[in-house]
Amino acid sequence: MIKIDDLSFGYTKKKSLYKNLNLTLQTGSIYGLLGKNGAGKSTLLKNLAGLLFPTGGAITVNGFTPGKREPSFLETIYLIPEEVYVPALTINNYKKLFSPFYPNFNEDDFSSYLHQLDIQEKGRLNTLSFGQQKKFIIAFALACHTRILLLDEPTNGLDIPSKIRFRKLLATVFSEDRMIFISTHQIRDLDNLIDQVIIVDNGELLLHESINCISDKLAFKTVTELSGTAQVFYSEQSLKGLTIVSENLHHEHSKVNLEHLFNAVTENAGKIKEIFKLKTA
Amino acid sequence: MNNTFSTKRCWLLFRKTLLERPVQLFGFTALILAIVLIIYVVCKSQIAFAPAQNISFLWGLAGGGCFLSSFIFSYFSSSANGSSFLTLPASAFEKWLCGVLIAGVLYPLIFLVFFRLMDTAFVTMFHNSLDPASPFYKRTYESVYVLPFDGTFAWKVYPMFIFFSGAMLLGSLYFNKVCFIKVALVICIVCIGGFGLNWLFAKLFFGTINDAVPFRYVTLPVGNEEGSVELPKSLSNFYYYSISYVIPVILWLITYQRLREKEF
Repeated sequence: MIKIDDLSFGYTKKKSLYKNLNLTLQTGSIYGLLGKNGAGKSTLLKNLAGLLFPTGGAITVNGFTPGKREPSFLETIYLIPEEVYVPALTINNYKKLFSPFYPNFNEDDFSSYLHQLDIQEKGRLNTLSFGQQKKFIIAFALACHTRILLLDEPTNGLDIPSKIRFRKLLATVFSEDRMIFISTHQIRDLDNLIDQVIIVDNGELLLHESINCISDKLAFKTVTELSGTAQVFYSEQSLKGLTIVSENLHHEHSKVNLEHLFNAVTENAGKIKEIFKLKTA
Repeated sequence: MNNTFSTKRCWLLFRKTLLERPVQLFGFTALILAIVLIIYVVCKSQIAFAPAQNISFLWGLAGGGCFLSSFIFSYFSSSANGSSFLTLPASAFEKWLCGVLIAGVLYPLIFLVFFRLMDTAFVTMFHNSLDPASPFYKRTYESVYVLPFDGTFAWKVYPMFIFFSGAMLLGSLYFNKVCFIKVALVICIVCIGGFGLNWLFAKLFFGTINDAVPFRYVTLPVGNEEGSVELPKSLSNFYYYSISYVIPVILWLITYQRLREKEF
């Protein structure tokens, strides 16, 4: 479990990126962290992994304080940054040198993930393409079976078939005792994968809800013209008409469109917060 | 689980550190040793044996050690590499200890073995080339000998090695990119600044001066002669040992603290 209490963080003392952020994340979920460029998505991930230290408040990850970077904590978490690092080693040598640090590393799973992600196993890792390197690190991270997996823009640099393979693999390996936390602005890549959405903007938490709850409260549909009493939070002209995000007054069932949801939330932060507050009230 | 030190984890980390970047660590070590050999040969042929031994020993141990130390924590030159290093499940102490073992134990050991072999080979070759029948044989033979590792010169180089290597290790945790050049610049600025300030204060205090070495002496013109004002021996020794041993040790220890607090 991840617990963030009154987190404040800023790269400079004058300008803080996060101020009094509160968040509780449970295992058994795949979280999607959405935000604009510079919103602080990677910064939040780095705070969770212990690479950055909060300037105020506290973070607890599975009972550990990440900033201490204790081995028993680091064994339970794997961060895949946007740009991955691979040394000039073969896959086999990488496995021999790095896997002993992760007690739950499974060799058979690793081979299987490499195969599923279609990674060529010959040659040194640093000679592979960026996409192949990233897929390799993803396969290794998944085989480590850490309780928490943090992914920063995991689909950046992956081609279309690889993105599909990545999604399939992530869905397959996910279990109730794990938490996967994905930060991205390539929202479409996460469709059908995440079950919890977190949207941050200007250091503020705008939304933290499950996909089911979002689809209960908001309606995502295409209409020919704007009418009715439901409040429209976002609209976009498409070939079929007007794609809108509105309040779900009639409990219609609609598939959550993450891109439209993101736009709706960032453009109507106050109103959206109000709607979701009603649920908990 | 011990979150500070585990022998097994430390060994795994040491092995990983050495084998992960063999070109950087072993390649640069080999390069430094090759340069030492060249310096030795060139100085021996152009100057004499003793300067060749001293110069190559100084540059090999202090210079080479300093250069190699700048690569120990060079993970921070890229975001991905730095994240990977800091999130690897090993304690800050183990990561620091591995750096210390490589820069402070392994490299000097390799260098000293190499230097002794190289030095002995050249000295033996020189001795064998002498004519035992020559009247100057004994004197010439005894004028060239293997550089003693417990001699005065060696004991001047060891603190320099500890100081510069410590400064580089620490500097590589402050400067993420081209740390060798940046730390070298900082050291130059500190040294020049120190000597400059010392000169300035001495000049303000004594008026005309010839020379001023911090914590050692000030030389002044006295008529046509030159006189020197020296620190009392006990005070001079205190500063000498502080600069030679205490400050370098502090640098190595601060490196550990800095590694613990490193944000990336």
